[in-house]
Amino acid sequence: MTEFDVDVVVVGAGPAGATAATVLARAGHSVILLERGPFPGSKNMYGGVVYPRMLDQLHPQWWEEAPVQRWITRRSTMVLTDEQAVSVDFRSQKWGSAPYNGATAFRPDWDHWLASKAEADGATLICSTTATGLLRKNNQVVGVTTDRPDGDLRARVVIACDGVNSFLAKEAGMYGEVDAANYTVGVKETIALPKEVIDSRFGVRGRHGMDIEVLGGTSGVNGGGFVYTNLDTLAVGCVLKLPKLTAQELRPEEIIDRFKRHPGIAPLVEGGEVQEYSAHVIPEAGLSMMPQMTGNGILVAGDAAAMCLAAGLWLEGVNFAMASGIYAGEAAAESLAVGDVSAKGLAGYERRLNDTFVLRDHKRLHRAPEIVLSDRVQHLYPQMIANSVERMFRVDNPTPKPGLIRVLNQERKRAGLKVRHVVKDTLDGLRTFG
Amino acid sequence: MSQVTVCWKWVSVDGGDVDPRWSGVSPADEAALEIGLQLAGAEDVTVVCVGPAEADTVLRYALAAGAHHAVRVDATKAASNDVALAIATLFGDTELVVCGDYSLDRGTGSVPAYIAAHLGAAQALGLVHIDTASSPLRVIRRLDGGRREVLDVPTPAVLSVEGSVARLRRAPLAAALRAKSAEIRLLPGPAAAEDTAQITDYRPRARQLPAPAGGTLARVRDILDIGAAKQTHAETLMLEPSDAAALVIKQLDEWGYLGEQPAK
Repeated sequence: MTEFDVDVVVVGAGPAGATAATVLARAGHSVILLERGPFPGSKNMYGGVVYPRMLDQLHPQWWEEAPVQRWITRRSTMVLTDEQAVSVDFRSQKWGSAPYNGATAFRPDWDHWLASKAEADGATLICSTTATGLLRKNNQVVGVTTDRPDGDLRARVVIACDGVNSFLAKEAGMYGEVDAANYTVGVKETIALPKEVIDSRFGVRGRHGMDIEVLGGTSGVNGGGFVYTNLDTLAVGCVLKLPKLTAQELRPEEIIDRFKRHPGIAPLVEGGEVQEYSAHVIPEAGLSMMPQMTGNGILVAGDAAAMCLAAGLWLEGVNFAMASGIYAGEAAAESLAVGDVSAKGLAGYERRLNDTFVLRDHKRLHRAPEIVLSDRVQHLYPQMIANSVERMFRVDNPTPKPGLIRVLNQERKRAGLKVRHVVKDTLDGLRTFG
Repeated sequence: MSQVTVCWKWVSVDGGDVDPRWSGVSPADEAALEIGLQLAGAEDVTVVCVGPAEADTVLRYALAAGAHHAVRVDATKAASNDVALAIATLFGDTELVVCGDYSLDRGTGSVPAYIAAHLGAAQALGLVHIDTASSPLRVIRRLDGGRREVLDVPTPAVLSVEGSVARLRRAPLAAALRAKSAEIRLLPGPAAAEDTAQITDYRPRARQLPAPAGGTLARVRDILDIGAAKQTHAETLMLEPSDAAALVIKQLDEWGYLGEQPAK
């Protein structure tokens, strides 16, 4: 008979781990939340938008206390070629008041806050502690080993929220073969500018902010760029497909540098002081790279389960992490209540994922990462779109205005796109996004 | 050594903010605890820290690592002497007080001296080595110019150790868990001093160098090439091997690569 130190050990105090610990602590279970860093969020790489709708149930009125930088009220999708930029720009003042939609946030603030909520609910947070492996007994995970002396921690259920490239999920055999093509590397600079300058450059006021997602501008490496407004800094960076990045000469920081010098981006960042540079691996391939979610005594959530939605129009991750954390917590609590922590007993987790946006979005958009990162979408369509728009708005008097379909067709040819490719890509796009 | 007191200075590195994320103690303070634990075996090591409630975080860290008791003197911005007096009054019968040689905010280092004065104890500063098994304690102190001083320290004594003397042991998991809810003794501290010294960010002392002469390019070369770029011309010489070798050595010597020549 194994003696357990605790009901559940949650590995990783990020958005997935903190929400899982909260749910379990509220259900009356003893929970230890292990964090590798000196405090939750200390890795401090993230730059992006958090969509906290899932917190409405867990922490009602969360917006009154959540540490956000700016509420996103302006959202722009930009297509860049060497000298052109086409933007689709959307603004909604509704997103700037409760219940809000998304916000930029610093993860040292966000994760710290979310984990402190778990602690307030009764979870025990232990920082500066790395889970180094799994404890097993009779094909059942019964805890983790840590890097502390006498560091074994026996638990009825382990929830692995240890981030992308999860060693625990891999050790549990939940991942198939790992393919570098499923990953991108995100590189980011934090650039300081006075708040008033950001307000005026991005056309926002108060705590409102802007999110710019960019196709192109990544020096020919498949991926994308981004500019997010924090209160008095910008997060500017690129997401780069690993095999494409390694197949060429430019280093990621050079690619960011070129991105920042693009005429469509330079006026936004000029005069700013780079305060940080960081890089992080992103599980980009969605559904096709996801591991088995449930094992005997173990669940995987958040980035550890590759729950990052990189679907071009939608770039989300923290919301999937928080949702999967909540569902993992609920399923673990359910299985503990009936005393069955085998994979079968924990199956409520996968059922919840399948029934909600977590896997539904991923299933519907399962081809999106491949489409968005494909060579045609990355290199040919931006040229075709930008050139067509340029001709559409160019005044070539005395030549009369050309018909738009004719322009599109000519630019399609000039970009080297065949009709059958456009038809196929349109159908694929409609099937995926429609 | 039956009773050891370790003094920690809790510092918020973010100015007035008392967020535990941006605060803590210096590596020298951590080293002081490790020395305390090694000295005392498992007998009685007390860590005392002056600070607000947020300082409890570091005291729990100390307890997890093996300190037997933790005391927080509830004060902020108190004068060094008042802090020292509070500690000396509390631990009048301690045999050894171990402090870090510098705090996270690079303060004045005056508290250990005041404690020694109040306790009537010996004091040794800037220690780079402590032979924890020796009796009396044999320590090595850093002096200017790379010199060292070996001291035998009588008790009671106040020691200030550099961060390099020891690395604080990693807390076992069970101890880290226990420390989360361990008791921390709270003592009322001295009032805030009316005119505490203004401590600014730590900057290493500047080295004095002669002002560079010449135009911008020459000055940049001066800085980057350490004189080598002054050799602006090149010429081809036809020499006997022995003369060529002598010329190379002469040139290297001129550039300062050879250091002091051995006496002939």
